[in-house]
Amino acid sequence: MDIEVTDYKGVKVITVKGDIDMYSSPALREELIVYSSKKVSVLLVDFNKVTYIDSSGIATFVEVLKHMKTYGGRLCLFGLPGGVKEIFSFSKLDKVFEICVDIEDAV
Amino acid sequence: MISVPSAPKYLCLIRDVTVRLGVSVGFGEPVINTLKLAIDEACTNIIKHTYKGDTGKKIRIQYKITKKAFEAVIEDSGKKVNPELLQGRDLDDVRPGGLGIHFIKRAFDVVSYDETKKKGNRLKLIKYLKEE
Repeated sequence: MDIEVTDYKGVKVITVKGDIDMYSSPALREELIVYSSKKVSVLLVDFNKVTYIDSSGIATFVEVLKHMKTYGGRLCLFGLPGGVKEIFSFSKLDKVFEICVDIEDAV
Repeated sequence: MISVPSAPKYLCLIRDVTVRLGVSVGFGEPVINTLKLAIDEACTNIIKHTYKGDTGKKIRIQYKITKKAFEAVIEDSGKKVNPELLQGRDLDDVRPGGLGIHFIKRAFDVVSYDETKKKGNRLKLIKYLKEE
């Protein structure tokens, strides 16, 4: 898994590439926590190149979302491939997370 | 049969083997994705809960493909799991964790622990081919 952080229209975008599993999710958590600890108002996560996510990965996003909600922050996931979206949907987390089609939709 | 150390970095190997076997059986991509996730989750549970993060243990997976089913038997040498505790969380109760068992039960028609195994655990997963 690779993580890239960029700015888009003044908003932090975390682009994740590859598999998010028990092995890689601690590194992802560390990166996301950096921004949620700074209480950024908006954090976008680009899923376009995510090839797989397991419950460890999902738990990471649930944790960050819960933290961001405590200060009114917004975590938005966009570009979810079909297989990844299906996992969020099965877990009923598509109703909990803000899931957008693309970056323009997310900003 | 494959045997890997109980370290998270080997989970991708287990996923790769599962996908290749799923393709060889002729499962479609959506089914293969559920099998891959389920077996990954079963192994993740072993590393996290049974071995409690000890990477020096072993996980063994025996795959069996018959005319009727795709089977995976996953063994560890850790403390006995109480199958009754494997319920997972209510999906409406949003919190980290508790999803793995749901993914396993969704993918496989039979999810059972072999209680005759004296030491460690043997999880038997069966996916019947008739639905394909």
